[in-house]
Parts: sequence; C-alpha cells; structure tokens
Amino acid sequence: MTVAHLDDLDAIELPDGFVWRPVRRHFDIRAFGVNAYTTREAGGQIVEEHTEDSLGHEEIYLVLRGRARFTIDGNGHELAAGQLVFVSDPKLRRGAVALDADTAVLALGGKPGAAHTVSAWEAMFAAVPASRAEDWDEAIRIHMEALEEQPEHGALLYNLACMEARGGRTLDALLHLQRAVQLEPKWAAYASKDSDFAAIRSEPGFPAA
Amino acid sequence: MSGYEILSLDDLERVPYRGSGEVLRPLRLRLGFRPFGVNVWSADAADDKLIPPHEEDSGHEELYVVVRGTARFTVGEETFDAPAGTLIHAKAGTFRTATAAEAATMVLAAGAKEGEPFVPGGWESVHLAFAQLEAGDAAAGRATMEAAIAENEHAWGGNYNVACYLALAGETDEAIEYLRKAIELNREQVRKWLPHDTDLDPIRADPRFQELAG
Repeated sequence: MTVAHLDDLDAIELPDGFVWRPVRRHFDIRAFGVNAYTTREAGGQIVEEHTEDSLGHEEIYLVLRGRARFTIDGNGHELAAGQLVFVSDPKLRRGAVALDADTAVLALGGKPGAAHTVSAWEAMFAAVPASRAEDWDEAIRIHMEALEEQPEHGALLYNLACMEARGGRTLDALLHLQRAVQLEPKWAAYASKDSDFAAIRSEPGFPAA
Repeated sequence: MSGYEILSLDDLERVPYRGSGEVLRPLRLRLGFRPFGVNVWSADAADDKLIPPHEEDSGHEELYVVVRGTARFTVGEETFDAPAGTLIHAKAGTFRTATAAEAATMVLAAGAKEGEPFVPGGWESVHLAFAQLEAGDAAAGRATMEAAIAENEHAWGGNYNVACYLALAGETDEAIEYLRKAIELNREQVRKWLPHDTDLDPIRADPRFQELAG
C-alpha cells in the first residue's frame, strides 16, 4: 500500500506549459491508465490538445480543484471541481485550459476489451526533465525501461535514438533509428529534419528520407 | 451530444450499499465506461461509513482518490486521514475500508486486474437493483439486474445475484432457474453462499431449492 498527495508527486513541466503528475508511474499501477495535470497560473494549458485515435482509449477527465475550460470536438465547456467529461469516442479532439491558478485535473483512461498496456508517451514525458538537463544517460535509461515492455514501438525507438544521438552514442542511435524506420517509414522523414540528429546525419546507415 | 458527456459527481444516483450502509455513486454504470471499474463513494456527515471493508479478492488493484473532504482510511493495519487530493493505492488482497473524517467527503475508486481485459462483475447493479426494489420499483430493479446479466451472462455471481433479487421480489420460479444457472457456472462458489444467504430465505423451503442445495 502506498499513499501520496497529488501535490507531492513529480511535477513535470511539458513544452506546452502544462504540468504532468505521473500518478500511474508513481504507484506502478499496471491495470489501468491514470494521471493528473496541474497548472501554476490561470490561462495555462492543463490537458494537451489530442485525440486517443491511436490508442483507442475511452477517457474521463475529472476536475479535482479549480476550474477548466474544456474544448471537445470544437465545443467549449467550463467545468468546476467535482465535474467531469467522459470522452467515449477516441477520435474526438480534446484539450483544456485552466481558468483558475492551481487547477488540477485527473485523467482516467483505457481501451475497452483489452488488458491495459502502459502508454509509451509516459516514458517520453518522464524523460523530459533529464533531456532538459542534457542528462542523456538518464533520458536513455527511461526510454530503455519502457522499450523492454514495448520493444517494437516506433515512437519510443525514434525518441531513444534522439537521446542517444545527443549523448554521443552514435552506433546505438543509428540502430534504433533504423529499427524505428523499419517499423514505421514515416520516421525517416522526421529524422531528416530533426536537429537531435545533426551530429550523426552524415553517418553511413542514416536512413534516407 | 455524441461521443462525450459532461456530468457532476453530485448528480450521480445515491445507492445504499446493502448490508453495511455506505453510499455508492455508480459512476461506471451511469457513463457506460468500459475499460475498467470506476465508482464514487460519498458521506454526508463526519464519521459516516464511506468505503465498505473488503480485500478485493477479485484480484483487482485499486486507486482511491479523495475528491473532497477528508477520509479516514484503514489499509492493511494502518489507519490515516486522507484530505482532498490524496491518492491511495491498494493491491489485491489488502484489507481496506474508510469512514468520513469530515462532512461532505467524496472518494473516487478505480480498479481492475493487471494483464486481463476488464469484465464487469455486476456488483454495482446488485445494490442499485435492491435500492430500486426497496423503493417500490420492482420493474426498474429487474431491468437493472437483466442489464447486468447482459453485460456478462457467464458470470456465476451475476446469475446468483439475480436469483437473490428475484427471491426477495417473490418471483420464486425464476429465482430457482437463475440459481440453477449460477450453480452450473460455479458450483463451488455458490455452495459457499447458499447455507447462510438470507436473501434466499423466501425460496429456501421450495423442494427445488432443497434439491439444488443438496
């Protein structure tokens, strides 16, 4: 048994300005998806704009404190603490902006009829502080840990290759990038323009766009 | 509205938990949420019961989120106060229960079994159906139970619970048939419950019951 207050969880500030609170990762919950998001000031993004099309998740977003303005499929809704939006259609674009400072939103999600699989984006988010600090060993470790569970995940392999390229591990970067491109050819085009690969783009074996 | 729905937790139905009196707010049933179990428990006054004592012998791991107020949890042998925003993770097999440490406390509970697709156990429907029966709406109660069976017709527990419901509702013939099906699905589990389940008292003297219990 473990207990933690939401405010004591890691606060990982992401590029869009919202703060990810890694609930599932903190408790190592394996049976379902659950995370929380907070913000430091009113007006900030609190749930990133996205769809669940690739994962097929049904999701519940519950406002735990403060207020948030959700936009679901182009429609705006202001939700206060104790209100939730259940998005059953994974194709619908959803996102939210905090209306009060220190708003908190709990997100619960999973794919109906399937055993839960940990979403690969969690490792990518978890590696953001290490990447920001250019601690490439730690960023690589976080990606490798996730890759053990999902060894054929294209986006994970691509991001791992980015970290390895930045960290000077040229051979590892080339191997993981090649594997990502084998699985999903779209990564070759991304790699051709990605500044993370600047140091290795002229190496033999770098995938052609 | 298609593909999404907005609601307030305060608008969820209040369902008395049979036997121990906690107040279930059946979120999963209300939304039709399918990936895993998720419900809400609420208490109006301090010291009211909040989460029924149990151990999740279903194999579910659970996360409790204190949405408002303060809950006094006992998990394993430890008792502690959990104010709003507290997250409590309990593994399957661990004893857990909670009371409200202040008025107007509300806790969300999510749970499922690792490595398996979620299959609704139908337990929320049992409590909802009995509440409907006790409120005098036997037809609504029956519809609730039948919907639960439709979600998972091969669960012995669902069939057994319908048998209990029908026994109390005075539908003896049908109660016997559901009990027969529950026994076909899991004889061992049903026979653990049969001797002392007072829900079945109205049909206990029926010769068909005697035969099934024999």
